[in-house]
Amino acid sequence: MKKYKYILLFVIVAFTATSCGLDNYDAPQSRLHGKITYNGEALGLRGTGQAVRLQLYQDGYQLRDNIEVFVGQDGTFEALLFDGEYKLVTRDRNGPWVNTRDTIVVNLKGATEVEVPVTPFFTIDNENMTLSGSIMNAKFNVNKIVNTANIDYITLLVSKTSFVDDATNIARKDFKGLQAGSQNLSLDMSGNANVASAKALFARVGVRAVGADQAIYSGVVRLK
Amino acid sequence: MNIKKIIIILSVALFTWSGCADFLEREPDTILSDDQVFGDAVMIKSVLANFYGRITWGQHIDDSYPYTILDEASKSDGGPDTRQGFEDDRWRVYDYTLLRNLNQFLKGVRETKVLDIATQKQLEGEARFIRAWLYFNMGRGLGGMPIVGDEVFEYATGMDITVLQYPRSTEAALYDYIISECEAIKDFLPVDKSVNAARATKWAALMLKARAAVYAGSIANYNNKMAQPIKTAGGEVGIPANLAQGYYQTALAAAEEVISSGKYELQLTKPDDRGRNFYEALSVKENNKEVIWARDYKYPGQTNGFTQSNIPASHAEDIDRAYAGPILNLVEDFEYINDRNGEIKTKDANGNYIFYDKAEDAFENKDPRLWGTVIYPGAIFKGTPVVLQAGQKYLEGGVWKFRTSEPGGRDNNKILITSVNGPTTTNNQFVNKSGFFFRKFMDETPSASTRGRRSDMWFPRFRYAEAVMIAAEAAFELNQPGKALTYINQIRSRAGIQPLASVTFNDIVREYRVEFAFEDHRYWDLKRWRLADKIWNGVQNDPDAQQWALFPYLVSDPGNPNNGKWVFDKIATHMSPNPRYFEMKNYYNFIHQDWVNNNPKIVKNPYQ
Repeated sequence: MKKYKYILLFVIVAFTATSCGLDNYDAPQSRLHGKITYNGEALGLRGTGQAVRLQLYQDGYQLRDNIEVFVGQDGTFEALLFDGEYKLVTRDRNGPWVNTRDTIVVNLKGATEVEVPVTPFFTIDNENMTLSGSIMNAKFNVNKIVNTANIDYITLLVSKTSFVDDATNIARKDFKGLQAGSQNLSLDMSGNANVASAKALFARVGVRAVGADQAIYSGVVRLK
Repeated sequence: MNIKKIIIILSVALFTWSGCADFLEREPDTILSDDQVFGDAVMIKSVLANFYGRITWGQHIDDSYPYTILDEASKSDGGPDTRQGFEDDRWRVYDYTLLRNLNQFLKGVRETKVLDIATQKQLEGEARFIRAWLYFNMGRGLGGMPIVGDEVFEYATGMDITVLQYPRSTEAALYDYIISECEAIKDFLPVDKSVNAARATKWAALMLKARAAVYAGSIANYNNKMAQPIKTAGGEVGIPANLAQGYYQTALAAAEEVISSGKYELQLTKPDDRGRNFYEALSVKENNKEVIWARDYKYPGQTNGFTQSNIPASHAEDIDRAYAGPILNLVEDFEYINDRNGEIKTKDANGNYIFYDKAEDAFENKDPRLWGTVIYPGAIFKGTPVVLQAGQKYLEGGVWKFRTSEPGGRDNNKILITSVNGPTTTNNQFVNKSGFFFRKFMDETPSASTRGRRSDMWFPRFRYAEAVMIAAEAAFELNQPGKALTYINQIRSRAGIQPLASVTFNDIVREYRVEFAFEDHRYWDLKRWRLADKIWNGVQNDPDAQQWALFPYLVSDPGNPNNGKWVFDKIATHMSPNPRYFEMKNYYNFIHQDWVNNNPKIVKNPYQ
């Protein structure tokens, strides 16, 4: 009789101890952290609507699905992955930079930093946005990086949260026909009910190159 | 004795067992073999009918929501829709199951012995027409897709699947294939009209040919005029510019073949009531002279819910009503009879209200097609006016103020405040929010808006007016302005508006917009002209990208000389707070990753 008890105990232990481990993975733990840069500086991008994405591929598997990596408005991105070798590419023609789809090989082991260097058509620096009454004044520099690039429009944007871009804003003004160089532009928001009722206001400027699918943006400045 | 018993037992057993065998061997009555289907003319016809029921894609009257995502109409049902952009798979068609079924059908019809030659040819023509229509619907969303010809693919265990994997064709080759198929089958198809334009005829094939050619021509033309043309290295997306001329010529020739056939015309049966005439040319099946091919519906059994969903509250016959309403953007694109600026005049030069005796007076002398396309405030529907009244206006301290109420509410003098139809800026269901209702495709048949019956209104896919417009567009692009002018003025004179003295590209764009509103043209037209990213530019309060509403108010201010008159406010619709934003990636649908996994020869689209 005791023999049966031992057998029973053995069976129970065997089942409980082994059943979990075989086909269940731990969640991925390795953090890939990166930014899209030009000369080491992260670029200001549109961070909403999954507008700017990178793609991660891993060789050696039957399916070729890529992992979408969404880039935030400060040009950074993050993904939780398994350790291994990945290939990181930009999406075709996506982003305010010259379309190159060179592969960056990422060897992920624990937390890993990666930089994706690109050549933007334009950059914006020395931005200074101020609010006087209901008028936003913006001074900034637009630098032409790619000689053949032309400005489609320069845009001034105001939002009530710190997410500001061409699709997320409560006030916007586009200027066409401008050239690169120092800019001094203003946006009159009188009569805009959304602006009047907003508790906080954030501003940003952007430049869209002709033919590019995205604009490049300055940093976000809090006006109010 | 014993032997007798055994014999009896044996024979009983024999009969019962043999009975069972019969039971197990009977033919299935829900799965039919190819021989059964293609051995019976009636069965063949029902297979074909099944195909006709599987080919309604894009914007159509059995689904009202997609009407509200462009710049034609806005949602009225419930709270705001925060849509801004378009999905990567918006109206994407990828139906190789149907394609295989069509090829199975083609094989069966070609081999069958039960049909006479003429019927056999007609059925082959219809199947190939539907196949071309399928390719067209795939191609206008995705670009070039694998062309598999007539082959019926079979898979057996262990076979090499790479022979089943076809690469994508180029975009140009796909349009070429559609054009050549239409040309090849046009004489298989009947020359006479089919009942309710439900089945394909020679003229439907020519219309598809003309439309495919003009799409291909405009992609070749306008894509290459973009700052950065959208194309792939293998030509799966993007058509070389030097092919534009040829495509426009094909389009013009095919359209003129339809025009010169004399089978159809720009219907003009009520020259004294052009608005009504335009409505009937599209929305009444009986004795229709204009519609060439339509998705037909028939009560009972095959009905759609457009009338039921969108009927004004004052005319509703069931609980459903006012799901969506056309917007001011569309209404103002309709010209006046003698004025090309179609703006609804609500304020004078000094910014003061213009007062109208009746609400409908604001739309006096508009293009009569407006009456036939939308129900504007005060317009007649089914014999009675549709009252659209947002509220009452009154002057207080020199400033116009307004009061509103629950729909149907009245003031102490029993004067209506807010109409039961709206428009309102609440989030309530079943009340209009845009200031207009649909008229095109609204069924005037009694009880067509009830859940029990629904409507058997058809949905025209091709009509004669499109042949004329394609001819006008193609002639314009081929630098034949005289011909283009003649054709566009035919459209305008039937409509009842002044003829043009010369024709520009923008005239063509605008004429398509107003003539074919709600007919699944707008999205594809703006895409092929590469205008979509410019018109739906995502800018808040942009006159085109934002959806605008027109709110009529009754002046209720005793003592004021304008008491009892009407004024109008133009406001951005609160139901669609975000402007439309068509991004570059929206010009072509994304290729689904599963398709690539199954067939590695498929390349992805740009921006993907």
